[in-house]
Amino acid sequence: MGGLQKKKYERGSATNYITRNKARKKLQLSLADFRRLCILKGIYPHEPKHKKKVNKGSTAPRTFYLFKDIRFLLHEPIVRKFREYKVFVRKLRKAYGKAEWTGVERLRDNKPGYKLDHIIKERYPTFIDALRDIDDALSMCFLFSTFARTGKCHVQTITLCRRLTVEWMNYVVTSRSLRKVFLSIKGIYYQAEVLGQLITWLVPYQFAHDHPTDVDYRVMATFTEMYTTLFGFINFRLYQTLNLVYPPKLDSKAESELKAEHEEDYAMDSESYLEKLSALSASLARVVATAEEEENQLDLFPTEGEDQENMQAREKEQKEQEAQKRLFEGLKFFLNREVPRESLAFILRCFGAEVSWDKSLCIGGTYEVTDETITHQIVDRPDMDKQYINRYYIQPQWVFDSVNAQMRLPVEDYFLGTTLPPHLSPFVEEKDGDYVPPEKLKLMALQRGEKPVQEEEDEEEEDEEEEEEDDEEEDDVDDEELTEEKNLKKMEGTRAQGKTLAVKVTPGKVKPWETGSVGNKVRLEQEEKAEEKRLAIMMMKKKEKYLYDKIMFGKKRTTREVNKLTAKRKAHEDASKSQKKQKKAKKQ
Amino acid sequence: MAAVKRLKRVAAAQPGFMSFKSSAGSDDLNSGQRKRVNKNKKKNWNKHSDIQDVEEFLDDVRLQERATGGLISEKPDDSLFFVDIGEQRKYVQPEVQEGKKGKKSKSRPLRIDLILQHDSLVPPPKDILAHQQPNAKKLRRIAENAEKLAAMGVLPRRQKRLLNRRPAVTASKSKTAANNFPDRPYYDLWGGDAKETADPYYLEQTGKKRVKRPEKLNSKPSVLPAVEVIAPGGSYNPDFFSHQALLLEAHEVEVKRERAELRIERQLAVNREDTATEETVFQELVEGLVEEEEDEDEEEEDVSIRGGLQQEKKTEKERRRERADKIKSQQKQAARVFTDKKQQLFQLRSIQATLKRGEQQTRERVAQRKANQEAEKSMPRRLGRLRFQAQDLEVQLSDEIPGSLRTLKPEGSVLKDRFKSMQKRNMIEPRERAKFKRRHKVKYVEKRAFREIT
Repeated sequence: MGGLQKKKYERGSATNYITRNKARKKLQLSLADFRRLCILKGIYPHEPKHKKKVNKGSTAPRTFYLFKDIRFLLHEPIVRKFREYKVFVRKLRKAYGKAEWTGVERLRDNKPGYKLDHIIKERYPTFIDALRDIDDALSMCFLFSTFARTGKCHVQTITLCRRLTVEWMNYVVTSRSLRKVFLSIKGIYYQAEVLGQLITWLVPYQFAHDHPTDVDYRVMATFTEMYTTLFGFINFRLYQTLNLVYPPKLDSKAESELKAEHEEDYAMDSESYLEKLSALSASLARVVATAEEEENQLDLFPTEGEDQENMQAREKEQKEQEAQKRLFEGLKFFLNREVPRESLAFILRCFGAEVSWDKSLCIGGTYEVTDETITHQIVDRPDMDKQYINRYYIQPQWVFDSVNAQMRLPVEDYFLGTTLPPHLSPFVEEKDGDYVPPEKLKLMALQRGEKPVQEEEDEEEEDEEEEEEDDEEEDDVDDEELTEEKNLKKMEGTRAQGKTLAVKVTPGKVKPWETGSVGNKVRLEQEEKAEEKRLAIMMMKKKEKYLYDKIMFGKKRTTREVNKLTAKRKAHEDASKSQKKQKKAKKQ
Repeated sequence: MAAVKRLKRVAAAQPGFMSFKSSAGSDDLNSGQRKRVNKNKKKNWNKHSDIQDVEEFLDDVRLQERATGGLISEKPDDSLFFVDIGEQRKYVQPEVQEGKKGKKSKSRPLRIDLILQHDSLVPPPKDILAHQQPNAKKLRRIAENAEKLAAMGVLPRRQKRLLNRRPAVTASKSKTAANNFPDRPYYDLWGGDAKETADPYYLEQTGKKRVKRPEKLNSKPSVLPAVEVIAPGGSYNPDFFSHQALLLEAHEVEVKRERAELRIERQLAVNREDTATEETVFQELVEGLVEEEEDEDEEEEDVSIRGGLQQEKKTEKERRRERADKIKSQQKQAARVFTDKKQQLFQLRSIQATLKRGEQQTRERVAQRKANQEAEKSMPRRLGRLRFQAQDLEVQLSDEIPGSLRTLKPEGSVLKDRFKSMQKRNMIEPRERAKFKRRHKVKYVEKRAFREIT
């Protein structure tokens, strides 16, 4: 009995949350300022589990913040700066109204500003934390740097973004850390591996902007403000790790080379250095002049058993990566004016190629078209008038596909005027059993080091071979139970046909039963194995059997789907081929 | 007057006459029409004769006489021009002789000037200091000394003091440059942490120490990646099947949207039965006018029911029987429960089965709930008045796919993609553009001029 009556909404979740308006009033800020503060400090709204309890019985949709977060915001020194700025604006308006021009000038000189350094340090206590969160910053800065300087946002912001992105690209070029590129209809996706972190970012195509109206530019500008600060500090640190001078400087050798005659015509003095940096054609100056970064080798420890295997795998991986870094080394490229210069120059430089372009296209081209040592010229037009004999004329997709395939692809498919093979996304990773498009299969075969299909052969034969390859792949995928029977059938089939068919032999896929007694032995062994398996299945517990059946069912389903897709694809190709033939016939 | 006029005419007619004011004459000569006046009266002569040009001429003559001592046209060339032979001598004698030629009053110097003039025959003493410097020796020695000290690196006291002076307050309070200043410097933010030497309690109390950021704030509000890569069908030169898959996806979205629209339309449609027909209209008009006899019947029935409800008193016998029935039924019930319980012993297996089934169900539900919670982590939450609406899928139709990179027409906007991605990751709440709302109604007033026409 007795005691005070408990009031509703005075404890529990009702006190853990605070509505946005209340928070705003508590901080004495306008809504715009409050929003900006939350973005800068990384405090996001929160959806409570029981809205009605939090909202004091009302079910009206509101924006809630955690009360503790807002209390934390109260200690932020920037809040005071916001208030100061508010007062500054008021005073300025008053001075304007009274036409006190000296007063206006004085106020302008003492305009309050704020720094975000401490916030960055607070949000990202270590460098790696910051690096993990750089995806957003990169995409945003690349986006803002492509904006026209027309007053949608501050010109200064655009310039700063441009500077930071150029610094980043130079870092990636110098560290050779680019891994994947994907040309999408939206923009270009890049992926780089920096200090062990995979970093993905999106770069819009140049001149592709229509400014959407339903985007809040103020919010975006605030994010950019925070991200530029973060990005700059990260850049500084990254340059430090490579012993590069920050802000980046061109190599003294390169700088003298790039001294163009009509530099003034191209850009103002203040801008020309940034432009030269953004050309990406020259290497950067280092703090301590070293010949080349020494090969960093894995430390070798004496290990046993599994560790050793892991070790070997790791070594192999690293070797592959090293090879990938030198993908285009020794090649000399020339970019025609119709190809996207910046992305191509960036990618080519990332893999050690030399790049140049027309003098009128951009500053920083190092050699002319007429240079005899050029190995590849990248062209994106139907045909060229004047062609040099000792270089390949290829379409830009070759570069992107080669990077994704981690090898120099055969240039024949990418010659001037040919229909390009599809540009596959490198971000898709197929699990085994999934449908793999034939182009990718071909590519994988190439990567394994198999020779591409002979060119002299007729199209028809080529197709047959491809089909067979596909069949083989399917076989791999099929259930192990079915394989044996299938193999037998196939064997019979091939025997009936004789060995006239040009079957391509892939290493590791020898069909041993075709070779006499040894073959029989192997076959017996296989049969034995199958028998064992069957017995094992029979001996399974009910529960396990159920699970096993389920797995098998799933596998079968995927194979069925794959088969369906391949059949579809074949039908599609046949249709397109017949169309082509008809066209040819018509032409003739 | 007439004489003057003639003189003027004569002078002006002379070919060599030069006037001081170049523009004065020509303007007046061509000015407009002459007024027609009777000239037979002397009064009119004075009144209407235009003598302005004459007066101007005379003014000019007077000015020339005043300024140059005679008409310029009559002067010899030597007095007007001179041969420029370079710099003149420094000392120019006071122009006393020149005055002789013109009028006396002009050329004579003022008396006060004459009084002040140096009239002694003794020449003024030579200015020695023009060539000498007082204390030259001392000064030279000092300079030499200073030079020697400077070579040794010793600064004079004055300079030292200047250097030692504290920088002005305004200089020390350097202006914080804006955050978007393009050439802003960066430094190693995560470099060696400067250990604070001061007493932590002091720092805390004086508000100099930052409040520690709660760990929970560093967790992201969503598990989605910052940059979601578009499906493989979004390649600029896609593989056929992945492109078809993407198209199918876009198609499904569109179908769903259409269905929602259709539903709304269906709900808004007018029901045929609700419309008034002639019959219903007539019924409405007649309503209440025609008396119905049914009502009376109902009332009668009611009365009869009420009458039937009146009960007679139970007899003792009836009561006894009822009591016995009740006890009997209770006993029966108890017996039933007992046998059921006994039977349950034999139902053990099925009970166990139901229990198991129940447990299984709970387990499944727990798993489901967990999966839902996992899925919710990557879902956009309801953060405000509006729900998150995903942006349209970027898709290029089969005939829009470009043959080469050059002819590619980018689809969608990266800016919007970024914005929506932030909304999707619960970083900002979805909002709509603030609508312009007029405080007061606009008054429409026709202008009077316009009203007259219409």
